Amino acid sequence: MRTATRIGVLVAVLVLAATVSVGVSQERGVTDTEIVIGSSQPLSGPAAFWGQGVGGGMDAYLKWINDAGGINGRKIRLVLRDDGYLPTRAVANVRELVERERVFAIVSLIGSANAFAARDYIIENQVLWITPTADANMWAGFKNKKYLFVGYPGYVDEGRILTTYAAKNEGVKSVAVFYQNDLYGQKGLLGIKRGIADTKIKLAAAVSYEGPDRDFSAHAVKLRQSGADAVILYATPTQGALIVREMAKIGFSPKLFASFTLADPVMFQLAGDAWNGIILTAYFPVPGTDPKVDAMLDTLLKINPQLRQSPFNALAGVSFLEPFVEAIRRAGPNVTRDSVVRALESMRNWNGEVIRGITFSPQRHQGLNRIYIIKSENRQYKKLTDWIEYPVGY
Amino acid sequence: MALLAQYVVGGLAVGSLYALVALGIVLLYRTSRILNFAHGDLATFGTFIAFALISAAHWPFAAASAGSLLATALVGAAFFFLVIRPAKEATLLGKIVITLGLALILQGATAVFWGTDTKTMPFPLSDTKVYRLGEVVISQISLGSFAVGLVLMAGLYVLVQRTRVGLAMRAVSQDTVAAQVLGIPVRQIFALTWGLASALGAAAGILLAPVTLLDPYMMLDPFLKGFAAAVLGGIDSMPGAAVGGLLLGMLEALFGAYVSVKFKTTLAFLIIIAVLVVRPEGLLGREYKRRV
Repeated sequence: MRTATRIGVLVAVLVLAATVSVGVSQERGVTDTEIVIGSSQPLSGPAAFWGQGVGGGMDAYLKWINDAGGINGRKIRLVLRDDGYLPTRAVANVRELVERERVFAIVSLIGSANAFAARDYIIENQVLWITPTADANMWAGFKNKKYLFVGYPGYVDEGRILTTYAAKNEGVKSVAVFYQNDLYGQKGLLGIKRGIADTKIKLAAAVSYEGPDRDFSAHAVKLRQSGADAVILYATPTQGALIVREMAKIGFSPKLFASFTLADPVMFQLAGDAWNGIILTAYFPVPGTDPKVDAMLDTLLKINPQLRQSPFNALAGVSFLEPFVEAIRRAGPNVTRDSVVRALESMRNWNGEVIRGITFSPQRHQGLNRIYIIKSENRQYKKLTDWIEYPVGY
Repeated sequence: MALLAQYVVGGLAVGSLYALVALGIVLLYRTSRILNFAHGDLATFGTFIAFALISAAHWPFAAASAGSLLATALVGAAFFFLVIRPAKEATLLGKIVITLGLALILQGATAVFWGTDTKTMPFPLSDTKVYRLGEVVISQISLGSFAVGLVLMAGLYVLVQRTRVGLAMRAVSQDTVAAQVLGIPVRQIFALTWGLASALGAAAGILLAPVTLLDPYMMLDPFLKGFAAAVLGGIDSMPGAAVGGLLLGMLEALFGAYVSVKFKTTLAFLIIIAVLVVRPEGLLGREYKRRV
């Protein structure tokens, strides 16, 4: 009996000691050997290609970093949660990541509506948030961005640039838009309207869809009936492919344009030949045009061959992590939120393996302000323009 | 006019698939009074079996489809024998909740076996080859799946109305105890109904796969639409389910075209509410009156 009591007391003391030593460690999610980060992605649902590409890319990239010894002796561990592209689940995931997994930072988080839903919680809890994979324009005018850093384009800027290019270089006279009726599609539409106002071409139709929609027969007829000679897509991979197939079904084959979100060659498989020749944008050098990017893609594919389906999204995942990993490197052994923020804010025109030209400062948290235009032909990308800059908003 | 016709053609093509989904729901409901919430997931599971047989085992499309219908029928019948029958003390509501559980299990299994990303189903008909009737355009795939849908509906009608097995099914649905007394093997009839309804779901799923693409959640929307179609046509009436499906597809297309494409998805639910308020038995149903 007495022995049992002694053992009990000993265990209790050990447990207490362990708790205290954890409490002493400097920062949530950081130990001497590990940094824990989290992300919520659509690993299922209509946007699953994004989540699996980006999440898979992030995971493979971190494995590569960790296998080489990590950063200053610490490995980076990614906790990935599936939100099915539903904002409510994204919020629940973020809460769980912060409160239960106690992550040091959130990296990415796909979906403008999802990021919008989660932002109050993340900002209020002062969680470091690196590059929400969401319209970058929506953070302008938003206060308390101390821990928010964005290395991703805005859909308003992108829509404007894409439309202007269509009008000036492709001879497009009237445009129809197929967009997702949430923050992602609406911001894209807003940008397209600005481009249309700049170039004096016509907006023939703006046809929206809702998240679970799968039957687009009426949408396709509406687009055809508008008489537009080009259709711009702001949709998920599944729904973008479905509308293109549906348009083909009724013999309508306009010039196609889309956000960089639909750049992956898997779209050829989903949408068929109608996808050939689509014009998109890009915000980092696409595979086949840059040796560093190609080398990184090779590395990712060696670790996870399934990423072959979605090279663009896998590399996007890397591009979200790169500035963060660099900041941890610059912060040195003392990794705290504030030391990482200082390191991020010291980046001037910084180039990673994938992302290029990232600039942050205490006044500037929109790190990226340029994109360029590409064409997707037979699963290969062709560069059509040089970098096109847009104004920095915050 | 040509434009109106184009919308109607598109609506009927998708409506015939809603009708197939609705028929599976109605068939089971008529016989067992169970609303099967796993119907959509059974259909998805069956579609993935066809997909696996084609892409991994390299079966020809027709054989793979037949194999998938059979396998899905077996899953449905097995579910009846292993779960629904042992739970015979459960209330109707309890049994409906059990089907919800089956839905979750099947959805999880599909995701585990085949992943959650979107896939394309190899299909023998082309969706870019189109036929023109004046100004109305219809693709080979829409025409083909519409035709197959009609044939399946007709076949089911003959089975239920013109065969001895169909007679037994109708007898069981009207009065289970009396049917048992008359020597009808009620258990087998129930199992057959489960199998048939599940196979019908798989057929709908295979025909829907080129329309919706293939992922574990592909039947979410078509299942809801099929359910709405069943309520619209009368949940205990097989011709009602067929009419309801075609009507819903057409109404949706026209609503999207001339009222609002934004609220097109909402229409199905508005129809459910309107039908339940104005004519709860549905267009061709009799249930409500008989029970009063």
